[in-house]
Amino acid sequence: MRYVVVGLHAAGRSACLWLRKVDKTAEVIGLDPSPLPIYSRPLISYVLAGEMTSRDMVVAGDGFWQERGITVLGDRAVALDPARGGLQLASGRSLAYDRLLLACGARPRPVNLEGPMAEQVCFFRGRRDLERILGRVRPGGAAAVLGGGLVGFKLTMGFLKRGMRVALIVTSPRPLSLNVDAHVGNWVGERLKNTPGVTLLTSTSVRRVEAGSAAALRLDLDTGQSLEVDIVAAGKGVIPETGWLSGSGLECDYGVVADQFLRTEDERVYVAGDLAQAPDLIHGDRRVNAIWPVAVEQGRVAALNMAGIKATYGGSMAMNAIPVFGSKMISVGVVNPSLTKGCDEITTQGAGSGYLKLVFREERLIGAVGLDAPPRLGELAFAIRRRLRRRDIPSWWLDNPKQAAPLAAPGGFLARNARLT
Amino acid sequence: MIQKTVIVRPERCVGCMQCMIRCAEAHSQSKALASAIREPILAKPRIHLGVGPEGRPFPSKCRHCEPAPCQDACMPWAIRDDISPGLKIVDPTRCIGCGMCAMSCPYYVIRFYRDAAAPERPGVAVKCDGCHERVAAGGIPACVTACKTGALAFEEVNLYLKEGTNRLANAVYGVRI
Ligand SMILES: Cc1cc2nc3c(=O)[nH]c(=O)nc-3n(C[C@H](O)[C@H](O)[C@H](O)COP(=O)(O)OP(=O)(O)OC[C@H]3O[C@@H](n4cnc5c(N)ncnc54)[C@H](O)[C@@H]3O)c2cc1C
Ligand code: SF4
Ligand code: SF4
Repeated sequence: MRYVVVGLHAAGRSACLWLRKVDKTAEVIGLDPSPLPIYSRPLISYVLAGEMTSRDMVVAGDGFWQERGITVLGDRAVALDPARGGLQLASGRSLAYDRLLLACGARPRPVNLEGPMAEQVCFFRGRRDLERILGRVRPGGAAAVLGGGLVGFKLTMGFLKRGMRVALIVTSPRPLSLNVDAHVGNWVGERLKNTPGVTLLTSTSVRRVEAGSAAALRLDLDTGQSLEVDIVAAGKGVIPETGWLSGSGLECDYGVVADQFLRTEDERVYVAGDLAQAPDLIHGDRRVNAIWPVAVEQGRVAALNMAGIKATYGGSMAMNAIPVFGSKMISVGVVNPSLTKGCDEITTQGAGSGYLKLVFREERLIGAVGLDAPPRLGELAFAIRRRLRRRDIPSWWLDNPKQAAPLAAPGGFLARNARLT
Repeated sequence: MIQKTVIVRPERCVGCMQCMIRCAEAHSQSKALASAIREPILAKPRIHLGVGPEGRPFPSKCRHCEPAPCQDACMPWAIRDDISPGLKIVDPTRCIGCGMCAMSCPYYVIRFYRDAAAPERPGVAVKCDGCHERVAAGGIPACVTACKTGALAFEEVNLYLKEGTNRLANAVYGVRI
């Protein structure tokens, strides 16, 4: 049996590990054009903020793959022919497989700006983007960040730590509008506004990028204002790397469509991670939830199925944890106000419990968000997955989130609430 | 693999908190209570007494799940399974304190504190390490030595229990195997 894994980052690496765990003898080949050693992508924001060195981003050197008997090819897949079970590689080689995992992730969403300097907009996805940005960082200078999501937020904090003034330009009325509820979003917005060196421009977008006079670039905004900056970086979400699969005949919507076994239309081809448009737990349709834990989990589930161990994927959901201004902000499931209209909400009480809100739709828990709350969202994520209802979450828990016993505990209080199938 | 682990029998717990004290002591630099409380970075307990229904005490600690949701979520790979077989152990020198693990753990057993093993970091994930050093030296986990009621015991992993835990871990993911 020959397993081929395209892309060796969060999803691909997890799949390789599990393929080896469940099949000790099969041939496992991983394919990735980025040079070894493998580093962890999200850590680039810590390097930008000067909290970590580039070397510390490394998570798997050559030894990691050798120990597990996994062959790594530094090559890029350029075409797939599922009917013949073959991959075409950029080097001109072709590679046959018995089971294939597509885990080639996503790329930053382009910003489509006009103007002669539009090419100067930096993105923030990998090591090369990090180097490009670090090459332009000027302490005492000015930066602009487009996009108020998590990556935009991390860019802002990074530039600030590097001693730059930052204009965070977001099209929505507040930052993190997709990730957290209005309360936490507004709190973050206020904190940003009160942070020296930060200008928060909400409901604003950039029209053109021109050469600047005082600094390298000039941004023309739709409000009529313009800004002179040394660097402009965008974090406007990602789009799955489906381009090279266009001739494969696999069903692609915006990602590669996967069933509950993370299999594509072809029974030998599986998909995981930021590339996979797979079942979504809360919305019930197929979506890309482009986050790390989902990629790792999908890598595992796909690997089990590839090895013939039937594993049903329960569905993904959004989850985020980010440190903000010395506070911890965590959200799971759906909490975005535009999607939770008409839902019931409970904000927990109790001394020292910070802000912790649970969102219910038709009695079912669908999301939770916390700011400096006790780190209990794992239990709530569990409750969402197990489709717990409002009455399944006892008052002794809601009234005392700092000290209550865990909702989920085998042989404990959970057992009565959750069906273990 | 069958091996010994800490088995929790919450119905026997009287809430005396001795396990928490001994756990903190065992994870201090000096490993002795009298001096541990004067260390510049205070060691913290990795077992917690939760308050259950009708105020009943519930000792809760890491289950060392397999697969482990916390490990999946950890982006710098700070939660390692290669330090001691069957244990998921946080490497404080790699932990960036991002909170992804706590967001994924279904048992509320990860807390964030300064840790003497990575004193330069403002807060790292702190959780049970199975007292792997004590066990390797022929000892038993500190919390078990403290428990006088049998609510914590160091026993062979009951196959059934382990299976239950693993099934729960899978349920947490929503995966059905
Ligand atoms: C700055 C930043 C911060 C982030 N922070 C968080 C966070 O806090 N929490 C969180 O949950 N998530 C975070 N993420 C998202 C997380 O990194 C991604 O969800 C995760 O990396 C997805 O993993 P993946 O394996 O699906 O894809 P990717 O990480 O995109 O990896 C795909 C791999 O495939 C390779 N590849 C691409 N095309 C080909 C091809 N044709 N042939 C062969 N190989 C190919 C690429 O080289 C790459 O190594 C962050 C991302 C960024 C950029
Ligand atoms: S998810 Fe929680 S209980 Fe499971 S191994 Fe991680 S910390 Fe321990
Ligand atoms: S807080 Fe530390 S251990 Fe937890 S996920 Fe983040 S880096 Fe990993």
